[in-house]
Amino acid sequence: MTDNLSDSRIQVRDLSLDYGNVNVLKALSLPIARGKITVLAGPNGCGKSTLLRAIRRLHKPAAGAIFLEELDIARLNDKQLARQIGLLAQSPSAPGDMTVEELVRLGRYPHQSMLQPWSPGDSAALEKAMSGTGVTHLRSRRLGSLSGGQLQRVWIAMVLAQETDVVCLDEPVNHLDMAHQLDCLDLVRRLNREFGRTIVLVLHDLNLAARYADQLVFLRDGAIAASGTPEELMTEAGIRTVFDVRSMVITDPVHGRPLCIPLGTDTVLSA
Amino acid sequence: MIYGGLVVLLFAAMLGSLTLGYRLYGLDQVWQALFAFDNSETAVVIANLRLPRAVIAPMVGAGLGIAGVLVQTLSRNRIASPDTLGLNAGASLAVVLASSAFGIGSLLGLSMAAALGALLTSFLVFAIAASAGGLSPIRIVLIGVTIAGLGHSLVEVILTTNEAQLQQLLFWLSGAFVDRPMALAQSGGPILLAGAIIAVLLARTLDALQADDVTATSIGVPLVVVRGASFLSVSLLTGASVAMAGPVGFVGLVVPHAARWLVGLRHDRLIPAAALIGAIYATVADIAARFVIYPVEAPVGAITAVVGGVVLLVLLKRRAA
Repeated sequence: MTDNLSDSRIQVRDLSLDYGNVNVLKALSLPIARGKITVLAGPNGCGKSTLLRAIRRLHKPAAGAIFLEELDIARLNDKQLARQIGLLAQSPSAPGDMTVEELVRLGRYPHQSMLQPWSPGDSAALEKAMSGTGVTHLRSRRLGSLSGGQLQRVWIAMVLAQETDVVCLDEPVNHLDMAHQLDCLDLVRRLNREFGRTIVLVLHDLNLAARYADQLVFLRDGAIAASGTPEELMTEAGIRTVFDVRSMVITDPVHGRPLCIPLGTDTVLSA
Repeated sequence: MIYGGLVVLLFAAMLGSLTLGYRLYGLDQVWQALFAFDNSETAVVIANLRLPRAVIAPMVGAGLGIAGVLVQTLSRNRIASPDTLGLNAGASLAVVLASSAFGIGSLLGLSMAAALGALLTSFLVFAIAASAGGLSPIRIVLIGVTIAGLGHSLVEVILTTNEAQLQQLLFWLSGAFVDRPMALAQSGGPILLAGAIIAVLLARTLDALQADDVTATSIGVPLVVVRGASFLSVSLLTGASVAMAGPVGFVGLVVPHAARWLVGLRHDRLIPAAALIGAIYATVADIAARFVIYPVEAPVGAITAVVGGVVLLVLLKRRAA
């Protein structure tokens, strides 16, 4: 496990977070690398989505803090933070009769104010976000008329238009079929490689995680179980410890990434 | 273009409101009554009876139209309206209370009570929702509907035990533009304007509020502040409208749909469009009220309720389909 502290974009420091009386995150610390794709993975209820939302300050920590470089995000106002960190929610919603362009425009919200209405810079960012995600030709279409894959692209365009250096995505491929999963994650990788965004991603599918992650983080019971490259983390022992699954890990002959073949569970899962 | 067309339509409707009715007047007579008042019977009727309603109807329509847009966006519910939030009921209750408990009889005093009632009701709905765990749209509407039911039954109770007032207040409670003094427009105007200005300032934020809460928060919308300000705007608009004309139902439900159909979902376009369409709608409904059971006048609230009821059914059917 290599933590290059000097080049982390985000530092989670001793973060504890409660839902009511339930302690969800336990004094968790994690550096997130600048300009890389970091994937948070772990079994259900491990706190990975909660961590992602805490990074975007959607939850108030009980203790600890999150730093952007040396800046505590608790000290930023709503719009300042929204210019630094974008988030695509797990199941975002907007009216079905809203047009694609109307939705993508929303990404410009934190860049505007009463004294600073829509500017040419906003128009440029809007066009760039739509062309970057390949939805320009859909601009006048209503959201309700789009397919699931198209709709997810449009939402990503909205987050892209926000022009934040950090982009968080909470299980963006959950409801998509295989082709659209790959399409969506390829797009996320382009945001990283071409637009230079730091990406933090929550993914359920371990093999997708291994395929797209630069930095992989395993969470279990509200704590970091392991953090490192997919090659370091995706071992038969590692997967068994975190997921209670016996597996065989081979190297994907096409992409060279580790590939997990689940064999069976250790424990009897109760319903 | 669209707005120009709407302004022309509104102007035509207002002229219609001045000329059409139990008696028909020519434009020359209207001109003379307004700009060369000669104390003739015609001039008195036009200046004192027709003019106030030709001014108040569009004001009320515009206010309820904007309030409807705000309520539907706030609750993310296309069949919500100021009625759903209990604001009309709150205003009506305030009027009945002011009259029966405090003996207020002047139209102006009752109007102020109505505005205050709407404001207090929105604070009440807002506070209950906040203390019940959050300001989610569905919770706000549920509480609003409950408060509305409560308000209406209290009105019924007070009126049944107080028959003398029934006659006087029934007129108010059915919603009408007839027999309103011009002073109402002067007292309601500034309140209406304040509400409209807040709404316009909130336009971009309201766009963002059409998305879910998590998305709205992550693009930088301070949800609590924005909802509070929107509620204030809705209360001012609805309160001023009820003060001027009583509870004219369903305007706030119908108008936003027409506005969205015309100009789309951006609030910087939607709010002015809803104001103009609401103004035209209320003015035309007021003219129609003079003719549906001619020579007697129908309450305009009944007209808007019939149209609104049909629209609501169509919307529900479309949603079910």
